[in-house]
Amino acid sequence: MQVAVMRQASDLQRAQALNGYLFLLPSFALYLAFVLAPVVVTCILSFAYFDPMLGSRWVGLDNYIRFFTDDRSQQIFWNTLRFTIFAVTGNICVGMLFALALDRKIPAILLYLFRLAFFLPVIIAAAFVSIVWSYFYGDDLGVINYYVIRLGLSPVHWLTSSRYAMMSIVIMDVWKNAGFFMIIFIAALQGVPKTLIEAAVMDGASYWRRFFRIVLPWISPVVFFAIVYASIGALQVFESVVILTRGGPGDATRSMSIYIVESAFDSFEIGYAASIAVVMTIVILAITTVQFLASRAWVRH
Amino acid sequence: METKASQRWLDWAIIAVMAVIGFFMLLPFAWLFSMSFRTVKDAYQMPPSFFPPRLDFDNYRAVLNSSVPFLRIYANSVEVAVIVTIGQLVTCTLAAFAFARLNFPGRDTLFFVMLAGLLFPAQVTIIPIYLGFARIGLLNRPIGLALMYLTSSFGVFLVRQFMRSQPKALEEAALMDGAGYLKIFFRISLPQLRPALAALGIITFTQTWNYYFQARVLLEPQDSMTLPIAMDLLRGYLGSGNLALVMAAMSMSVLPVVLLFLLAQKMVIEGVAMTGIKN
Repeated sequence: MQVAVMRQASDLQRAQALNGYLFLLPSFALYLAFVLAPVVVTCILSFAYFDPMLGSRWVGLDNYIRFFTDDRSQQIFWNTLRFTIFAVTGNICVGMLFALALDRKIPAILLYLFRLAFFLPVIIAAAFVSIVWSYFYGDDLGVINYYVIRLGLSPVHWLTSSRYAMMSIVIMDVWKNAGFFMIIFIAALQGVPKTLIEAAVMDGASYWRRFFRIVLPWISPVVFFAIVYASIGALQVFESVVILTRGGPGDATRSMSIYIVESAFDSFEIGYAASIAVVMTIVILAITTVQFLASRAWVRH
Repeated sequence: METKASQRWLDWAIIAVMAVIGFFMLLPFAWLFSMSFRTVKDAYQMPPSFFPPRLDFDNYRAVLNSSVPFLRIYANSVEVAVIVTIGQLVTCTLAAFAFARLNFPGRDTLFFVMLAGLLFPAQVTIIPIYLGFARIGLLNRPIGLALMYLTSSFGVFLVRQFMRSQPKALEEAALMDGAGYLKIFFRISLPQLRPALAALGIITFTQTWNYYFQARVLLEPQDSMTLPIAMDLLRGYLGSGNLALVMAAMSMSVLPVVLLFLLAQKMVIEGVAMTGIKN
């Protein structure tokens, strides 16, 4: 009797397991084919000189050594990190300020309009808005310079001077993406218990003191997530640079993504391009790990 | 300590400042739209306009009649976005059901492996995909781009999280009654998932509509392009002076995403907020 029940239970378990694998199959097979396998192949390619005509050969760490010793690729690597640091800081800070500003009683119609205004740039392709901004940033016929000149100032070379080009791209990026972080932070702010805040108000703590002592620690997991998310996006920056500056002037704004595409598909140095992609992935993994460890320590605290 | 009255005054001051900032946020779109109605010959005239000077669709017609196969490119974008959206809704929901509702050996490891997909940028997958597509004839075909994204770690994660927040009593009862898992999935789980599916569908459609890096690598001939990469090409093709035409093309290109957003703003925003919180 008991044996029969047990057999029935294990039959059920087996049926459930079988179904589990079947339900998972389409998604996992696609994931294997279009993510996992390509990642592995890219890693392998990064140790090779790839030439389908004349034959490929192993080159060990040569591609990586080239990437980390070549002046040009060094500049491109630092460009990308610099852009990431500025864009992430800008997006998180501006997004948080917007969220704090909108986290109060606002008439429904105004709230709708605010969400529209701040979130519209987020959902429109970077490729499209970059084209618009390229006309805004123009030297002579630029919209911004038109007003700069009207104010009696000398026109700014937004995209054509190596001093300002990177900052101009960062400004557009913050305009485009801050609304995304604003939405996430508003949702997080609404989860902070009212009683905690009220108690602090009773104690006479100022607004910013309350923010840094109570609110920010409370929503820190969301902030950590936002920083990781923003970093992963910023490290891949591509179309805004391609459209606004084509990587110039010189290499002043060239990013790793552009360099990967140029190396792989213009000069057909597949192995070298693969090594750059692997470096980018390692940076992403490193940032994620650091944030993960930091947030564990911080959140427990 | 702040008094009630001064607090109210401060609230309105902040709202006013945000209104001004919001106005500036929208200026690039106002400019884009109004430019698309300027005549080609005064496209570059200053001062710039932020309101359409007139409402006739000459520039729009000119784009459609130009040497660039704009309608074909538009159709490619629709094809890719629709296939990817439907594909992800199907594959991600099935996988999420397995992860949230079924027990099987290795489940948590497999979930972790899939979640790792969030960390791999397209840059590290595109080279082998390019080489593979070149070999099997999928290069320069929009369907190739769509294939890349028929499932997503993000989608699986989103639906699984949502499903776990739902009670599973009904599903367990159906199982006791001897219903098969497929039947339970379609009859009981799927109807409960409507909010998550709407959010995922809208986010996926928008994201796919906007892909640039992948499209630029995989789709080279004009006929195979999607809108974001074609727009950069149009800038050169329609003549450098034809700013007004480019903006007309752009107005048409952003239309589906803007409409989707206007119709389903709440769902988009809740979907985004949901993913932020749940992480």
